[in-house]
Amino acid sequence: MTRGSRRSLHPDTIARIRRLELRAREIVEGVLAGLHQSPFRGQSVEFLQHREYVRGDDLRRVDWKVWGRQDRYTVKEFEEESNLRLTLLVDGSASMDYAGDAAAGVRPTKFELAATLAASLAWLALSHGDSVGCAVFDDGITASVPARTRRSQVTSVCDLLETPRQAGPGDMHRALRAAAEMLPKRGLVIVLSDLLGDRAGLSQGLKLLRARGHDVAVLHLLDDDEIDFPFEGATRFEGLELPAHVACNPRALREGYLAAINEFLVDVRRLTATLRCDYALIRTGESPSAAIVRFLSRRSSAAS
Amino acid sequence: MPTFDFAPLVWWGLPLAAVPLVIHLLNRLRQRRVRWAAMEFLLSSQRRYRTQVLLRQILLLALRMAAVAVVVMALAQPRWQAVGGGLGGGAVRHVVVLDDSVSMGDRSGPATVVTDASGGDTRPATAFDRARRFVTRLAADLAAGSGRRELCVGLSSHLAAASDQPPVWIVPSQEMTPSTMQAVRDALAGAAVSSGATGGAEAVKAAARGFRTDADPTTLWIVGDFRSRDWLSDDGLASALRALAADGVTLRFIDCAAAPVGAGNLTLERLEVAGGVPASGVLMPVEVEVRNDATTPAENVLVEIREDGASRPGLRIDSIPAGGTATRRFDVRFSSAGHHAIEAALPGDVLPADDARWAVVDVRERVEVLIVDGDPQGPAHGDGFYVTHALAPGAAAATGIRPRFAPPSALATLDLSRFDGVWLLDVERLDALAVTAIEAYARAGGGVVFFCGPRTRADFVNERLHRGGEGLFPVPLAGPVDLLPDADLPDLVPEDHPVVAVLAGQRNPLLDAVRVERSWAVTRGHDPTAAGGRRLLSLRTGQPLAVERPYGAGMVVAVLTTAAPTWNNWSRGNPSWVVVMLELESHVARGRRAIATLTVGDPVTIPLEPGSDEIDVDFLVPPSRAVVRHTAMPDGTGGLTARLDVTTTPGLHEARWRRLDGTERQRLAAVNVDPAEGRLERAGRDRLDRGLVGVPFRSEPVEAVDAGMADTTGSSWAIPLLAVVVVVLLVEQAVAYAAGYHPVAPRPRAA
Repeated sequence: MTRGSRRSLHPDTIARIRRLELRAREIVEGVLAGLHQSPFRGQSVEFLQHREYVRGDDLRRVDWKVWGRQDRYTVKEFEEESNLRLTLLVDGSASMDYAGDAAAGVRPTKFELAATLAASLAWLALSHGDSVGCAVFDDGITASVPARTRRSQVTSVCDLLETPRQAGPGDMHRALRAAAEMLPKRGLVIVLSDLLGDRAGLSQGLKLLRARGHDVAVLHLLDDDEIDFPFEGATRFEGLELPAHVACNPRALREGYLAAINEFLVDVRRLTATLRCDYALIRTGESPSAAIVRFLSRRSSAAS
Repeated sequence: MPTFDFAPLVWWGLPLAAVPLVIHLLNRLRQRRVRWAAMEFLLSSQRRYRTQVLLRQILLLALRMAAVAVVVMALAQPRWQAVGGGLGGGAVRHVVVLDDSVSMGDRSGPATVVTDASGGDTRPATAFDRARRFVTRLAADLAAGSGRRELCVGLSSHLAAASDQPPVWIVPSQEMTPSTMQAVRDALAGAAVSSGATGGAEAVKAAARGFRTDADPTTLWIVGDFRSRDWLSDDGLASALRALAADGVTLRFIDCAAAPVGAGNLTLERLEVAGGVPASGVLMPVEVEVRNDATTPAENVLVEIREDGASRPGLRIDSIPAGGTATRRFDVRFSSAGHHAIEAALPGDVLPADDARWAVVDVRERVEVLIVDGDPQGPAHGDGFYVTHALAPGAAAATGIRPRFAPPSALATLDLSRFDGVWLLDVERLDALAVTAIEAYARAGGGVVFFCGPRTRADFVNERLHRGGEGLFPVPLAGPVDLLPDADLPDLVPEDHPVVAVLAGQRNPLLDAVRVERSWAVTRGHDPTAAGGRRLLSLRTGQPLAVERPYGAGMVVAVLTTAAPTWNNWSRGNPSWVVVMLELESHVARGRRAIATLTVGDPVTIPLEPGSDEIDVDFLVPPSRAVVRHTAMPDGTGGLTARLDVTTTPGLHEARWRRLDGTERQRLAAVNVDPAEGRLERAGRDRLDRGLVGVPFRSEPVEAVDAGMADTTGSSWAIPLLAVVVVVLLVEQAVAYAAGYHPVAPRPRAA
């Protein structure tokens, strides 16, 4: 594991996530291993390897001959077996780099949190034999790693997320359209972004992904400051993406700001619900593992 | 129009109103920079609240600036003057009562030096110097101000002296302009501390009587030293001030006294002949009393003494306790008859005016005493003998007293005014003319001594001499009583009286040796001390033996036993007999001999003999002995009196006139500063408040009065403005709270 992957993967996060199962809420293309449901179950023929039975594996996949000879439970895996194809779309626009003064050294930036969450999800998916791909975008796809099933794929994902980037203004519509064109097969697409920017573009992008048959989940990352707006004293706010500034006493604008962001959050929830996308709002002050547990729990309960 | 007591504060303070604006701009420069992602929401909020926030900010800034401005204006003591008060309509009047009493000569305080108006002489600044400087400053302030402003200045001594006439002002009421300033300066430069005791309080009462109260706003400035004795003991003052305040007069007290620095003040409290007979060639005891008003004892105080202007060895007082007095006695002897002067002086201190004192003694060639003995055998044997030998023992012991003998019947025909004392010794009775003559003599200041004995008749004494208290005799008599012998207790008990003071004390052996066998008893139930009576001696039984009572201007003493050793053995070889008799003569004769010590301000009165004296009298007034001639006027009793109406300086005032036969006559009068002026204790603001209940006044030390002090008429706006400040600040807080500029409790997370 490279230094980058080690920074992205918190042991505590990995330890908690390994006990969970990533459940696809909808049937996706590919052969499902473990608990993944697949319409093409049993059609793969080329044996790849045996692996240890883990709790939750389908008993129908247990190789009883091995059990008869060696008295241990193994599960047969096939070469062409198509598991869940997970694509992680990480927002790398400039707005993801916000970190409040008070949070310096305490809370990660939104991008750092997104990278952590993406790596964790990748490791989780790969541990179940799913294929994982990852892409970083701002106003388009700036870097990507194609989906792979091999265990070393997590290293590739972490390296991608740790690669220094030139953060530019975001364009969700263009980025999600490029991602949709880049993904040849249906799968689970998790968008990790603050979703700041053109709301219509976001809507169009998500609709496009859904139209391509992807199962889309949105992990909405926002800094605590962006939600609570706790500033006091004369402050000059300068846009990370927008070429604008506001010099004000923050308390005078707080009420209006909170009203506006709450309206934004309501819109986003309404949009994701309309498009049947999973949605979770994650604050940078939260524990990443708790955020993933919450996300996966909600997702699995919704599937069952 | 509004005016300010401290106008410069307005001009220097009003720019402070811009401080909130400056702070606001500085905050904008010092604002924190935040690189922010969610700009769209912030911009949305700004678009939504831009106008509201801008208005709130402007309102807040305006409120804060207004609060500062109003505070500055309130501190500057604004006043609203009556319509036309300052702009050519009516006038703003300022009346100054300048305290010129002796205590204003106090040189306490910092050792600043002033140059006299007369020239190069320099001296430490007095309270009066500070007061004069203040009034000059006030006048200059008025002259420099706008509108019609009138000023009049009066000295307390002048105002009080003219209490029955319109007040006398050293600066009559006039409009103050730069051109009239010089006249005010000249008038003030010519003013000086008087030697009188008329402080601001008396002058205010006098001035208030002639105070013109009209529609013009008026300020009464009382510029003085506000000593306790002057301001805390006068009921009429508070009512006078209340009346002025009720008429709309603004009262301002300017305290010019300085806090004492270094040594305190010594005062010559008293200088007087303490006893004896004022006859030529006879020693007379004189007492001098010095008071120390400092907070520390005064050590080695040297008192200079002069007799008729000639120095004599001084007195040294080793120590005078703080706040206490010390009395010393010295003897003087004048070789010639006539008026003689004694002067005592202390070394100069913070208040030089009370460091000198004068006394005048009327010395006779011989003191004539008339002895009327009731003994039909004549005066050579009985009571007269013993009294005569006590008063005039002989050439070996000169007392200056020349006894003259006369029978009781001669009283009606003798000119009693020649005698300094009349002694009636065991007289059985007097005819009506004699009683009338002796009573007239006593009423005119003569001293009468009665001795009672076996010839005395109670019925005569009670009916003709005592007359239920109307007559001459001090007590009614009941009858003679015997005193049983008692070997353990002395028969005579001296009372607290100056005549027997020399014998008072623990068991005086001379008095112990006196045995009284018989005396006249006072009628039962009569109180000898009633009607001003006083005991000199008592018997061991408690009965009075010698009693005095004033009668008119004179004094009458009744000794209820014999002078001769008939009923007692006192006069038989007992030295105390001589001492007490001499003291008794001096005591009863004091009404005739005493020359009243006058206080500055009192008139000097010289009685003349019609038909013998010319009517023009020259008064030589100290210190320059300037001659003031007065013509004698009838005094209403058939006599002539020359009168120097008001004395203004302490010292010896000499009166000279001629008799019709061409001979020149001369009399002296000692005029002294009221020693109470030496008490420099200040009233203080707290005690003034208590003493002047209900009087709205403003009191401030002279050094605290700032420029713009003249603009103090009219009603003060300070309190209403402070109320406005409170309201403005409350509104500011409400607006700031509504604008969200106050810290708020953490809100629940939006998610």
